[in-house]
Amino acid sequence: MPNLGELLGTLVGLIGSQFAASSLRLGPAPSIAIFLVVLVLLSLVARPATRWTTRDLGRLAMVPRAMALAAESGAAAAFSLGSAGVSRATSAFDRLQTLAALPVLGHVARTAARAGVPLRVTANDAVAVHLAEVTLDDAHRATETPERGERSRAEYVGEGRPVAAAVALTDAAWPAAAFVAGGLAEESLLMLQATADDADWTSAGTGAPSQAGSVLLSGDGALIGPELYQAPSDLRASGHDRTGVLASNRLILAVIGLVLVGSFAAVAAGVDLAGALAGR
Amino acid sequence: MRRSLPAATVVVVGLLLLLDYVVINPTLAALADLLLELLVLLAAGAALAGGVALVLRHWTEMVGRRADPLGSVVLLVGFAAILIAGLYPGSSGSTDPAVRWLVAALLAPLIASLFAMLFFFLLGAARRGLALRRRESSLMLAAAGVVVVLLLPIGGVPGDWLATAASWTLAVPIGGVFRGLLIGVAVVTAVHATRVLLAVNGADE
Repeated sequence: MPNLGELLGTLVGLIGSQFAASSLRLGPAPSIAIFLVVLVLLSLVARPATRWTTRDLGRLAMVPRAMALAAESGAAAAFSLGSAGVSRATSAFDRLQTLAALPVLGHVARTAARAGVPLRVTANDAVAVHLAEVTLDDAHRATETPERGERSRAEYVGEGRPVAAAVALTDAAWPAAAFVAGGLAEESLLMLQATADDADWTSAGTGAPSQAGSVLLSGDGALIGPELYQAPSDLRASGHDRTGVLASNRLILAVIGLVLVGSFAAVAAGVDLAGALAGR
Repeated sequence: MRRSLPAATVVVVGLLLLLDYVVINPTLAALADLLLELLVLLAAGAALAGGVALVLRHWTEMVGRRADPLGSVVLLVGFAAILIAGLYPGSSGSTDPAVRWLVAALLAPLIASLFAMLFFFLLGAARRGLALRRRESSLMLAAAGVVVVLLLPIGGVPGDWLATAASWTLAVPIGGVFRGLLIGVAVVTAVHATRVLLAVNGADE
């Protein structure tokens, strides 16, 4: 049995030999640049909430009201995770939108669980369905409503973008509130209109810029492009955080306005507004 | 522990793949290939499980005469037809003539019919957008109206002027908005990918 020194020496030797067998694929500068990008991204993701929150993205603040109305009418809510999926043969850009939609689903699921509204989630990818099931379970656990978990479900509607649209078009369900969030393509208008026509309240979101028009025309609330990724950060923030961010944003805008007015007054009329404000 | 294990797996796998992208090392490359193969197997297994779950659900609905039994019958018959065409003894799988015929003669026309409804749905969406009285919807419809006018097939000097204006509109304001959206999406995609990679989650509500 080797002693500790020999073990350490072997390990160091192994690492050394691996270093000796390695070379940089892209050269020193690009490699450092890649790690710098990761570092910058790390500093960005450290923010718990988006800084420049000036409005209610996708009108998601209306979700509790929509769920309350659904509970009163005894209707269900529907959530579609788009048509890109997670393990389907589409671009990584599209698939990441499905993952970005999961926190939105979590928010809707928690609100539905609290209100006692059954939530039906549909996706055209088995992995996305599994993620939705986990999100639903987590929502009922977080709201301590496990007895209502049986009424909510995630459904796999089959493979393909047209299939997702066709299922939405032929669905006989009449949800009180409907949500579509995730990757969408040319079938977006069919899917969104089929969902929106049945529901009393809708919110739709996609990161695909080419489908922005469909989202704008179909939903009461819309998450377009970067907003799909931005909304979950705002949802996570507590009421105090949001109020703080909104208040400080208004202060910043007021200061910018004051600086502009002061500059204009100084240039146009020679008025030293800054001096008056500072008591000089 | 329940949350940290998947998070640790995601972090380790993500960093290994990133390292393999930057560094050329045979051991690292073999490890990355193995992980990617496992990922493909996982996706294939999940797709199979999804297919089985879909058949089971519709079989139960058909037998129990719940929801839409006729729709379930159509789905199961279609499922069986494609499976038989692709798996009968001597079949060449997805390239078999029977599968190709099913796709070309049934599936493609069905999809084409579905997308042919887009124009009518666009009109419905425009009506709904106006009914919702959202500022963004009205603005978008107004811009769409301007673009339609600019693209009218008119000849002569007015036609040339409209064509020039249409080109400028598409290249400058619309192109600018589209590029802005693309840049914004690219930045937040990178940030979100890093969040997923490192399993960063903020405090929930």
